[in-house]
Amino acid sequence: MNADLAFVSVTDLARMIARKEVSPVEVVRLHLERIETHDRSLRSYITVCADAALAAARSAEAGLMAGGPVGPLHGVPIALKDLYDTAGVATTAGSKILAARVPDADATVVRRLREAGAIVLGKLHMVEFAYGPEGLNAHHGAPRNPWDAAVERLPGGSSSGSGVAVAAGLAPAALGSDTGGSIRIPASLCGITGLKPTYGRVSRAGVLPLAWSMDHAGPMTRTAGDSAVLLRVMAGYDPADASSSVLPVPDYLAALNGDVKGLRVGLLRGFFLDSATPDVRAAVEHAAKTLERAGAVVDEVSLPAVAHVAASAYAVVASEALAYHTVWLRAQPADYDPEVRRRLQLGAFVTGAQYVRAQQARALVRDEIDAALARRDVLLAPATPLTAPRLDERQTTLGDGRSDVRAALIRLTRPFNCSGHPACAVPCGFSPQGLPIGMQLVGRPFDEATVLRVADAYQRLTDWHVRRPVLA
Amino acid sequence: MNEVFDVETLRGAARVAGFAWTVEELETLRPAVEAALRLLAALDDLPLGAIEPTTQYRVL
Repeated sequence: MNADLAFVSVTDLARMIARKEVSPVEVVRLHLERIETHDRSLRSYITVCADAALAAARSAEAGLMAGGPVGPLHGVPIALKDLYDTAGVATTAGSKILAARVPDADATVVRRLREAGAIVLGKLHMVEFAYGPEGLNAHHGAPRNPWDAAVERLPGGSSSGSGVAVAAGLAPAALGSDTGGSIRIPASLCGITGLKPTYGRVSRAGVLPLAWSMDHAGPMTRTAGDSAVLLRVMAGYDPADASSSVLPVPDYLAALNGDVKGLRVGLLRGFFLDSATPDVRAAVEHAAKTLERAGAVVDEVSLPAVAHVAASAYAVVASEALAYHTVWLRAQPADYDPEVRRRLQLGAFVTGAQYVRAQQARALVRDEIDAALARRDVLLAPATPLTAPRLDERQTTLGDGRSDVRAALIRLTRPFNCSGHPACAVPCGFSPQGLPIGMQLVGRPFDEATVLRVADAYQRLTDWHVRRPVLA
Repeated sequence: MNEVFDVETLRGAARVAGFAWTVEELETLRPAVEAALRLLAALDDLPLGAIEPTTQYRVL
């Protein structure tokens, strides 16, 4: 079967299916074959829903032939991080504790995607309970970053399987979740596009939490256009999620006009570019110049308040995560991945007053980013300060000194979880070792349209996002 | 803050939180707890005043 079809964008795939140029059965079968061939080594899926996906594809094909209504994702296969509830299919959060958990109902966004015609291929690997940015999992092993066949490298996490599956053509699109960067980090390390929407833009109902006030659900795709298509379906008020917004959902795809003339882009210096390795810094600076040549107005900006993010995010995530896990941590501590258990235990030593002060500090960060965006349309920064480290690498050298890998991976994404602003990771180059480099575009609250417009315009000017890893 | 905590202190704090962890576990946690408390001490120096905490980020 034609492997090129596995790398067709969601947007084009939906169009081809609607025009009957390709059958949804053929598309689903192709992806199942690729999973069978490549996923023994890549390990991106926990559960493959082969029979259900093929049945849904046949139904989609029959509906098409009968001239029935066609949703925007009719017949398009997707895959889900294994913390999105799926009716009748195990949803484990990559854990042993929830290994036998089978939800009765779909998460709101899964239901919306199915109603739009999407077909669920399966559930994807992740860091246990989404608590970690490396992509490691003691129960299932780490999915393998597809960009280096010679050296085992981190895929990034916690949405590790989502990054790997989309990059390797084992799913046209996937859902991830992002509490400190868990969509954008694997997107950056695996060379795909990953959108963390504004807090409140996408319902979290039926999505297993890590830290409620920092969790965001979002799409992981190969193009900004594909993220626009998925976001339009996923976004919107949900009575089952008290934090979801009632603001209307725009047509994000319609906003992608390829034009950035006059748009103001703030290149984030200091904390962001200074910490990046020389390869990453050069790629992001080059991306800024590319946007400038296309007519954007680029200036430089720094955000000193992000220095408070590490303390603030630590107190919030450790406390909220412990609150969710307390009962299991008391009753079956040995069932946790030891590293995840250690992180959860640390939450016991954060006081209530520290938690509240951390939430206050988030307001400082949010206000400073709001102020920077009052005079700019988007901010531009590296998504991660480094490319994919080796699987066994614990320490690394960044632009401003030594750092442990975990802290390095999460450093540049986490500020926007604290602030709630939308942020989209986009491929912007490759290192001399052939590893993807990712940048992130950050926008005003609920202005995903502009973020995606700039990301899409950049992708029309570059080809980083269409490059494919060579699979063994 | 650059305090060093002995295991008994950590054991007491853990018990207040409802956990009865072993000495070995607490010894393993101790460097990370001390590092975390140093990190969190920075929050005390911020001009937070009466800033409302973002318990609900942006209700719209």
